[in-house]
Amino acid sequence: MLSWEFPPRTVGGIASHLFNLSRELVKLGVEVHIVTCDFPGAPESEVVNGAHVLRIDSYKTPSPDFATWDSLMNVNMQKETAALISGFSGQFDVIHAHDWLVANAAVGLKHVFRIPLVATIHSTEVGRRNGLHTDYERMIHQTENWLAHESWQIVCCSQYMSGQVRWAFGLSEDRVAVIPNGVDVSVYQKEFDRAEFRKKFASSEEKIVLFVGRLVYEKGVQTLVSAVPKILSRVNAKFVVVGDGGMMDSLKRQVANMRLAHKVMFTGFLDEDSLRKLYRIADACVVPSLYEPFGITALEAMAAKTPLVASNTGGLSEIIEHDRTGTKVFSGNADSVAWGVTRVLLDPGYANWIKLNAYQKVLQVYDWAKIAKQTKEFYEQVLKVYDAGSWKPT
Amino acid sequence: MRVIIFAWEFPPRIIGQLAYFVNRLAAALVKKNVDVYVVTYNDSWTGFHQGADGIKAIRISDKVQPQINVLTRMLSLNQEAERVAADVYYSSKHEVDLVDVHDWHFVPAAVTLKKALRIPFVFSVDSIEPHRSRNSGAPLSSSIGSMESLGTSEAARVVVKSEWMKQELKRYYNTLDTVIDVVSPDAELWINSILAVYQKLGAPAN
Repeated sequence: MLSWEFPPRTVGGIASHLFNLSRELVKLGVEVHIVTCDFPGAPESEVVNGAHVLRIDSYKTPSPDFATWDSLMNVNMQKETAALISGFSGQFDVIHAHDWLVANAAVGLKHVFRIPLVATIHSTEVGRRNGLHTDYERMIHQTENWLAHESWQIVCCSQYMSGQVRWAFGLSEDRVAVIPNGVDVSVYQKEFDRAEFRKKFASSEEKIVLFVGRLVYEKGVQTLVSAVPKILSRVNAKFVVVGDGGMMDSLKRQVANMRLAHKVMFTGFLDEDSLRKLYRIADACVVPSLYEPFGITALEAMAAKTPLVASNTGGLSEIIEHDRTGTKVFSGNADSVAWGVTRVLLDPGYANWIKLNAYQKVLQVYDWAKIAKQTKEFYEQVLKVYDAGSWKPT
Repeated sequence: MRVIIFAWEFPPRIIGQLAYFVNRLAAALVKKNVDVYVVTYNDSWTGFHQGADGIKAIRISDKVQPQINVLTRMLSLNQEAERVAADVYYSSKHEVDLVDVHDWHFVPAAVTLKKALRIPFVFSVDSIEPHRSRNSGAPLSSSIGSMESLGTSEAARVVVKSEWMKQELKRYYNTLDTVIDVVSPDAELWINSILAVYQKLGAPAN
């Protein structure tokens, strides 16, 4: 597997995805090697839950911009992975790339070793940017397109993403498999002093409403902040915003202008342990995204038994069944978000009903062991086609 | 002897002197009974073509357009170079003796073929970024320079056309004196000198 992030290097959701997927694939007897970027303090090579991790020099010389850095990083990634595969006499069955950031290395390795390439496309540039506006964005889009067409099969984590990938890159339905993301419920079961931990965020009279995510426009955090006065007019609550991003300053100004700075707490980036505890003491978790390929935050809330209020958009609309596993609200609509949050906070019976149903759904559908089994079967299907063809080196 | 030459310019695509030089080199190698494949870039004429001179050219084009600078463009194009070079390798029963890569543009592909398929390569240096660029310390130029540095450190042999360039490679990239061969294209028997360099990599004498 090739990925630009793997713990402890965590930039977005891919690191966690690979960490969990690789662990469960190993349990199924798959030998997994992960090639990823280096990180301060992390060893160059190690075995993590049975998966072999190789961290490459991710290129430290100054680069003109992020995309150029990525191209240079791929030179090193390809060089090191070529040496790795060659060390096993080319005996790897599948190369699995995660997103456009490793496209160069993945496509080259596919051809040089003639090993089938598959790719998980976690999100698309056209979706992230709500269109393509510059050559920089168009280049990334075309790199995604190239990776998609070079891949034997593509994995998307939701039907929504499958549709978007097929539309954006002109692919037929049979080229894209849908295998969901997962969540590990066991990490949300550790005992701790809830009352003591709660004091760090809110008074005992306040309900806690949680947002977790990057503070960027597509995550819709600005919609939640706009809904705060309406919610506070019905129920006493504290809004805890976890995450960092370019909108931090403007959001703080928005809150200050509403004279509600004492009701909205921006924590910045939080460590995993604190975040998991926060999910468990929150009275509602809000995912107000405008664009959401999957919605891993929603799954985490469901695994932690936190009542969920989420936009009816993208992958979220597939994860959540309205009034059964969560409350769906209109995307980008502060009135709708206020309605959804108020409903959950004022009706404990309803909140309890949706959170228990959500937890059951996580166990049934979003369990990493089941996802790894689907992924292994996906690999086997690709290999069946590969073995029947004549491209394989002799 | 089978040799793959990587060059980003080759007739009819002529940017500078390199296209003429690579054409002359490939033609001279063919006359010495070397099976020569030139992998090169052309944005409108792609695929395999063998001319009357016996040179087998494989022209590749961008799979990703637009690009934001020459470096992202070339690094993306390198995967195409690897694809067609691998096709030559597999269709010739793994019998490719070496790659001769001219200037920085396809160095990553040469390095990958070396690591993956154990095909050694010669890095033929026509010019270097610190000479071409007015601001070689700028991020884009220093990144291109890093590709030249990669080439000089990973190549089995580095070929330059003058003693002066040899000293420049030592000065800018700390290239070892012992891996550099100076072969002047003006010398009468220069192609024999090139073949002698190739044979240092284990290529058979033709």
